Amino acid sequence: MSLRIHVSILRRQSLMPLLVLMQVALACAILCNVLFLTWQQLKPMLAPSGVDSSNLILVDRLDASGGRWRAAEVRAGVQALREVPGVRAVGAANSLPMVFGMIYAFGMQGPTGVKVGVNVYAGEGLVNALGIPLVAGRDFLPGEYCGAGGYGSVVRPVIITQALARKLFGKADAMGQRVADPEQPAGAGYRVVGIVRHLLRNQLDMATQGRADDTMLMPQCMGGTPMPLFYAVRVDPAMREAALRGVRKAIQRRFGARLSAGTHACASFYDTRSSAAFKSRRAALWLFAGVALTVVAVTVIGIMGLTGFWVQKRTRQIGIRRALGARRADILRYFLAENALIVGIGILLGMLLAYLGNHLLMRYYELPRLPWSYLPLGAVIMLLLGQLAVLGPALRAAEVPPVVATRSA
Amino acid sequence: MLRYSFELAVHGLRRFQKSTVLVVLTVALGLAASMTALTLLHVLSADPLPGRSQHLYLAWVDTVLAKPAGGLEDASLNGIKRSNYHRIKLADAQALLTAHRAVRQTVVADMVADEVSGDGKHAQSQQLILATTSEFIPMFGVSLRYGRDWTSAEDAARTPVVVIDTGLAQKLFGTANAVGRSVRLRNTLFHVVGVIQPFATQPRFYTLDMGAYSSDGGENLYVPYAAALDAGLVPAYSDGCDASFKSLVYTPVDPARCASLGLWVQLDTLQQVSAYRSFLQGYVEQQMALAGFGKKPHSELTGVDDWLKQNDVVPDSVRLNVWLAGSLLLLCMLNVAGLLSARFLHRSGEVGIRRALGAPRRAVFLRHVLESGLVCLIGGALALPVTLLGLWILRQQGNAFSGLAQLDPAMFGALFALALAAGLLVGLLPAWRVARVDPGLCIKSE
Repeated sequence: MSLRIHVSILRRQSLMPLLVLMQVALACAILCNVLFLTWQQLKPMLAPSGVDSSNLILVDRLDASGGRWRAAEVRAGVQALREVPGVRAVGAANSLPMVFGMIYAFGMQGPTGVKVGVNVYAGEGLVNALGIPLVAGRDFLPGEYCGAGGYGSVVRPVIITQALARKLFGKADAMGQRVADPEQPAGAGYRVVGIVRHLLRNQLDMATQGRADDTMLMPQCMGGTPMPLFYAVRVDPAMREAALRGVRKAIQRRFGARLSAGTHACASFYDTRSSAAFKSRRAALWLFAGVALTVVAVTVIGIMGLTGFWVQKRTRQIGIRRALGARRADILRYFLAENALIVGIGILLGMLLAYLGNHLLMRYYELPRLPWSYLPLGAVIMLLLGQLAVLGPALRAAEVPPVVATRSA
Repeated sequence: MLRYSFELAVHGLRRFQKSTVLVVLTVALGLAASMTALTLLHVLSADPLPGRSQHLYLAWVDTVLAKPAGGLEDASLNGIKRSNYHRIKLADAQALLTAHRAVRQTVVADMVADEVSGDGKHAQSQQLILATTSEFIPMFGVSLRYGRDWTSAEDAARTPVVVIDTGLAQKLFGTANAVGRSVRLRNTLFHVVGVIQPFATQPRFYTLDMGAYSSDGGENLYVPYAAALDAGLVPAYSDGCDASFKSLVYTPVDPARCASLGLWVQLDTLQQVSAYRSFLQGYVEQQMALAGFGKKPHSELTGVDDWLKQNDVVPDSVRLNVWLAGSLLLLCMLNVAGLLSARFLHRSGEVGIRRALGAPRRAVFLRHVLESGLVCLIGGALALPVTLLGLWILRQQGNAFSGLAQLDPAMFGALFALALAAGLLVGLLPAWRVARVDPGLCIKSE
């Protein structure tokens, strides 16, 4: 059947198809935006941590009663933790992944002038303690460690991620290269001594749009400053629970008396912390999933209800066509095609609406632009939903016997 | 006629029960989603201090002796916005308080300290303390339970006195009436002169630096700022420090050289507001030293409402959810309009007969609008428990503000208004369509 006939029939009874069309348009617009928001929330949760996350214990909330830990105390802590059975490596740090008491936000500028915001994990022996495999270069040398701000005009050695290396240097090899500090372009800057595959930044809100791995490691001597102190402890996978208990005991023994009044140190696995850190994201995901499901359900119900009524109204017409020689398949195909036509127009309108909606949201909220790829995604979903919803009524229409034509309605 | 139309509407609802249930459920879902999102927005954007907030202004003079905030590239590359809570330095605060040009004026600064009962037996660690002046309590309408607030003489004499709230009194002394006891902050004993009802406006607009909303209240102890500084307590936050103050991360704030005190003034009339504005500008123009740092004399006087807007206190996600829920409601309403049209037109034969028997278009229209209004009211009633469930789910999320998600009578009324408006609006098109049914044609085709 030609498109012209479809259109002329639709034009004669325009209320029903118009309502379906509007519903589809609105549903498509909402669905595109919700899918996009969902992906935005999901991105940091899916990003690889880069560390040995299931065997990594993080220790924080070590508040010194005098305000600062001495270097000897930090070292004694490392020693005490190393002696715990099941512990494989220990590192002391100012900032660690999934520890939000301290977040270092630095800038880096590559030779092409591209500027990247990065999070930094600074401390002693972190490559080993976090269990990050190096894909190129080396770990920091013992002589490269220095107190915070102690480098002055000396180049700081850093270990960066593959993604960061690609951003700063493109296809060129990053190893041994110098990276400038955008706040002091003429300063000594950093030198890349090693590269790791992944390392999730601890500004989780920024871990979207390919920025999850904008992270680097920096050598830093611990103690003697008012900066916070954290420990990263990698343990034997076979002794996780025993090691956690041991670590807690060792921390209590070493630091308990020196903690400021009323505070308690906290030691827990990376996985425990990441699941807590993503709690509000999970809640948002449930919300978006609920909205998406509701949109789908409401649209399917709407199309089914309207088309069902419409088929019923045209029973006699269908009977006549059957009597004139149309096969069941023809009737079925007719209703499917009609639905595709209406939904198709709705989708076109919906994509426009989705784009406008995203534009509106972007103006008021910090939201990235809706990528084009989401529009066809939403369109395909709506088209499939439309065909699914119309299948029942269309099959019923195909069952109409030709004899109906001879009866008066 | 209305009564008859109503009866017909109820009768119509009963006829296709499956479709009625579907329509009611759709309405309930759309309404509940919107009401949940709107309630949270309503709670978070409500006036934090009704009756007083419109007279309160935050006064700010920029006298920090440093180049206008530069070197922020690292922060902006990482999406960090520099906060500016319009704090001023100690000397300016003292000068502006002494000038006494407003009806009332006070300074505020959050401080963090351990609170220990005088006998040393009970302690609360790392609590939020508000350092302020004697005028805070009358100015912000804090209600005293026992004892008195401190006097301006005690402010001037830097007397170590405190006012605590009943919650803290209960925790430290086991009784709400703690007047006459004492609390140790760092190494100084502070005398408790008064006990207040817990005071926590939502948001805590007067100090935003420690988070705008707090489910567990905010400060539980109020102390004269001069006495607090004497005891070695320091403000928890500063907007920035003089260039001469080498601030490292985690260096305690020095209120003399860091902008760390918020100056709130009460101004009752527009004349007072403009007079105070020019007084502030005049004050900052006398600060000659600023020119050396390339700064223009700059002052601001901000009302509570503007202050909350400037600081984007209501989280973006909350507004985003209102948009989402609103479009979902629109979709549900379109769906209901479609289902109702189908249902109404289904009985065009019956309508045709009624019309032929003399029912005017008006009556047919009225009956169908009533029917859709009724459907939406039932949907609204069903939406109430669903909304309560939605708010309960919100409260489980553990954000700082989620504990505030409660339905109040105003929103309860709004729910029914929304349901009724939606019902009438949604019914208009199908009812108009069915009222246009041509009686002759319909009867013929039946």
